[in-house]
Amino acid sequence: MGDFVAGISVVCFAASYAVALAFEASRLLFRSGVRGAAMLGFATAGLFAHTLFLLWRAINEPVVPLSSEFDWYLLAAWLLAAGSLWLTVANPKTPVGLFFLPIVLLLIGRAEMSSRTPFPQNPATQAWGMIHGSFNLAASVAVAIGAVAGLMWLIQAGRLSRKATPLRGFRMPSLEKLAILTSRCALVAATTGAAGFLSGIVLNAVNQQQGLLETVPWNDPVVLRMGLLVAWLLVAAVVSRVLARRPEGTRVTASLSLVSLVVLAASMVWGLVGPTRHGKSPEVVKADAAAGDTP
Amino acid sequence: MTLALLGATHHSVPLALRERLAFTTEQAIDAIGRFRDIFPGREIVLLSTCNRVEIYTAGEQDAPPPTADEMVRFLADCRGLNAGDLAGHLDCQVDQAVVRHLFGVASGLDSMVLGEPQILSQVKQAWAMARERDSAGPLTTEMFQSALRTAKRVASETAIGRERLSIPSVAVADFARGVFERFDDKRVLLLGAGKMAAETLLYLRDGGARHVVLLNRSRARADELAEKLGGVAVDWSRLDEELALADLVVSTTGASEPVVDAARYATIEPARGGRPLVVLDLAVPRDFDPAINSRPGVWLYSIEDLAAACEANRRKRQREIPAALAIVEEETSRFMAELHHRHTGPVIEQLRAGWNETGEAELERLFRKLPELDSAARLEIRKAFDRYAAKLLHRPLTSLRHESHSGPPHGLLDALKRLFHLED
Repeated sequence: MGDFVAGISVVCFAASYAVALAFEASRLLFRSGVRGAAMLGFATAGLFAHTLFLLWRAINEPVVPLSSEFDWYLLAAWLLAAGSLWLTVANPKTPVGLFFLPIVLLLIGRAEMSSRTPFPQNPATQAWGMIHGSFNLAASVAVAIGAVAGLMWLIQAGRLSRKATPLRGFRMPSLEKLAILTSRCALVAATTGAAGFLSGIVLNAVNQQQGLLETVPWNDPVVLRMGLLVAWLLVAAVVSRVLARRPEGTRVTASLSLVSLVVLAASMVWGLVGPTRHGKSPEVVKADAAAGDTP
Repeated sequence: MTLALLGATHHSVPLALRERLAFTTEQAIDAIGRFRDIFPGREIVLLSTCNRVEIYTAGEQDAPPPTADEMVRFLADCRGLNAGDLAGHLDCQVDQAVVRHLFGVASGLDSMVLGEPQILSQVKQAWAMARERDSAGPLTTEMFQSALRTAKRVASETAIGRERLSIPSVAVADFARGVFERFDDKRVLLLGAGKMAAETLLYLRDGGARHVVLLNRSRARADELAEKLGGVAVDWSRLDEELALADLVVSTTGASEPVVDAARYATIEPARGGRPLVVLDLAVPRDFDPAINSRPGVWLYSIEDLAAACEANRRKRQREIPAALAIVEEETSRFMAELHHRHTGPVIEQLRAGWNETGEAELERLFRKLPELDSAARLEIRKAFDRYAAKLLHRPLTSLRHESHSGPPHGLLDALKRLFHLED
């Protein structure tokens, strides 16, 4: 059993999700009696393997979830995959996977490009590290769900404006339901994003006090991108709130949710370029500096 | 064994004649009894709906089938008509064509509204009535059971009955439901007293709508409708206030000019607090100025929009016809093969009985010659004989089954009878 679980790789569950996505996409092309079961089967198999992979890492690696960038991205992907599966079972006529699984696959791809080295920790910083990582995770997942709901809202509104009947196999939830979800996600993303940023400042201060990690300066790329992301999420949430009682409010909120996802994606890509002191011990920073990789 | 059908459907019989041919339940029961008296031994199922009257009969060879003329005379007598008046209108079919027709009918493929589901329950009722009157025998039972299975397959494997075709159902299910998740917390405003508004309200009520307000230029008519449809009647003068409060408007007034023009809506809009408004304008001429549709949060559907959506759904249903017909054809072939295979039953039984008799005689002789055999050894030898006989019979039986797919296997049956001296 142990060998089996140890043999599970990122490719295993990524491939399962990809096949599930292909089945979901085929809804638009032809009818099939077994497609739903096949799609659910592959998505469930992927989620099962994904869960075992994360559990195996938590048990056998000297880390806990969220303690490396790699684990953080995989956990975000896991949350979205689990949510997608649950929504698919609850709404079999809606192609939920078609919207969520591409994001899941992108997050898995981003995880593969991330460092698997755990952030240095000691008991004093571990709690703050978990809080910081959890809030950022919640914000990212909320942005993704909000963007999917916003995109679905725009598609549904487009269909209703064109006065067209629903496409077979492509039935969207009601505008009312999607509007509520989009607006709540905007609020959750802004609050958890802000909390994640603030807890990061606290974590930085504790690190400075403990001398455990290198102090992250304000102009560090990670601080800048997270700051910009949080600022954008706050603006989006405020605009959404202000326009809530206007007829065009929901459309604006739906559009902003898509922009939020683009900003989040840009922030994640930005994380790939440029050196940073974020999550690095002084020794690593010195080694980077010696190698000419100065933040 | 023969199957026959006499049918008068909307394809070939004018409405006036269909009305005269239609049976009430009591008349149908009476007709079934008369048929059994005239054609003893024949099974009958009588299907009578507003679009078709069909008599399905079946029977074994010993119950000779009625001729087409006899069937027409029977139907005419039952309905007090002259058989000559029915000439050219009725459709007579036999055997495989009957099965194919019934399977298509049960699946909604022969209905006036393609894929409509009511016909299936009507077929079930007709069959149930025949069973209650003992006029459904093994053949019709098997045929109707297969018809229900075919209809179920068509419904689940194609989308022929999924798209809605009536304007009220499309308005509610495809459009209002696209905007609102639920109706129980929505305020529905009915303007005017059109029939279609009442039908639309039925769909909304099914969806949970509880708060219904009715407005009519005549307050007395509004009160009358409120009592009939349920809801609260208010004065026409409160139209603007009610429009500001409403979430969904169904409008069917007989006004010659728009009741709500863009300027009027602009004065109401601020009081709505940004809530979305769905307007189902079922009136001709329209009650709502089309320009209102461009306002954010307004989803306005005229009867023309809804009719176009219904037509699109109708086309979607039509695209499913080939797949549905393929299922009907497959099930018809399967049914006919089973039916033809039934012909072989008596011959196979005789063949088996003859071989068993010979086998038993040989076993008895063997056991007499070998009295030392114990019961276990005898049992083993008996089993070996049985297996040998079964294996020898397997190939001829498989050939008979294959042959049944293309009709009753008379040739093979005759050969078997002659080769093994079997009786007719």
